[in-house]
Amino acid sequence: MTRILIMEDDAHQSRLMRRLLEHAGYDVLVAPDGESGLRTAMSAMPDLILLDMGLPDLDGQTVAGLIKGSTLLSKIPLVAVTAWPQDFAAEMATAYGCDGYLSKPISARDFARQIGEFLVAEEAADDEA
Amino acid sequence: MARRDHLGGWILSLGLTSESQSYDERAPACRLVPASKFTVAALTDAYNRSRVDYIVPMPMNVARLQAYIDTYDVDLTRSVVAMDGDDILGLAMLGTRPGHTWITRLGVLPVKRRSGAGEAMMSYLIEQSRDAGADHVMLEVIKDNEPAHRLFRKLGFVETRELLILRRPPGPPLTEVPAYSVVHGDREQALALLARRRSQPSWLDEVDSLRHSEDLQCLEAACDGAGRGWLVYEQTVFQLGRLIVQAEEGDPAEVARVLAHALHTAHAIQDTKTENFPASDPHLTGLQAMRYFESFRRIEMRLAL
Repeated sequence: MTRILIMEDDAHQSRLMRRLLEHAGYDVLVAPDGESGLRTAMSAMPDLILLDMGLPDLDGQTVAGLIKGSTLLSKIPLVAVTAWPQDFAAEMATAYGCDGYLSKPISARDFARQIGEFLVAEEAADDEA
Repeated sequence: MARRDHLGGWILSLGLTSESQSYDERAPACRLVPASKFTVAALTDAYNRSRVDYIVPMPMNVARLQAYIDTYDVDLTRSVVAMDGDDILGLAMLGTRPGHTWITRLGVLPVKRRSGAGEAMMSYLIEQSRDAGADHVMLEVIKDNEPAHRLFRKLGFVETRELLILRRPPGPPLTEVPAYSVVHGDREQALALLARRRSQPSWLDEVDSLRHSEDLQCLEAACDGAGRGWLVYEQTVFQLGRLIVQAEEGDPAEVARVLAHALHTAHAIQDTKTENFPASDPHLTGLQAMRYFESFRRIEMRLAL
């Protein structure tokens, strides 16, 4: 089963994302801050990380930098989830090595499909590489 | 007009002008309570709730807010929480140092905005600043936060300069610089270098802020042809920050490029975030050449008392 780690401090947001993804058949883990998120990522080795860019202990860029700078975690696709304006989100996601970004508020109707499409695209890119 | 209530808070009437009178008619009186009456956990929660819709929300946990309070000499007895009955409307904090104060973390819950709470808290902190013997008050506002900027202007604050929040993703330097020699130094040496600083610090990087950090370090670099200079920084487990750069000889931008090269060669795996770097600082282009980029921008403002 595809495993997704959500790093999100807003309990309402993480509950919503978890419900939508579990309903779509994913195995979902949630971490409420950057430090526990990094620990969970290292122990569970998820297939995808959804990273809220505004975490209360380490900011999202720092967490993204640590993930992409880690030998263990760098290959895990990383998607920034942020309420930042689109241009700013794109710039930050690119600068910090994120593989994509999603704007908040997420769409309950489209979220699981967006994640599914992203995973398929990542798999195809891996096959080509 | 204000009077103390039985809990040590202030009941504020905002009816000094016809405009503010209309606030009074729309909204209940706002009770101002010293922030020291609340736990840091309650203040953290209020702060986070006041920022949920910000462009850059920057949420905090309790440990981070406590560190912020300690580092920036925030005086909770002079800081304030605005209440409506038992509900927190917002909060604002005051840093105090000899001769001047600094207003920070001002925020009002989104559903409680336009009630006059922000202006009431600001007026309270200005009065607290006078009471503390300050001759001026400083603050910073995120550029494009027009409602807050307007409020500060209305209260008499004037813009002094623009300050940048700079980021650099982890990674070694990718561009070459002229050959240089570098000497790394510890916290004590860093503080000694800061005594030679020529640039005007903001509250965040005044020596009184930096000396609270146990993780300060420094390096001095010199190279033939490009000059020499020094760089003070903070190194924590996950991040480099609080960069103070000064060329002692040569072109400031070129010296900054060499200093940044030395820094990121020594600390290649860490993310870097440095706050309140003056937009007009002559070292800036050197940092930008080493992959520093502007994350967002603040406007520094000053009120003479």
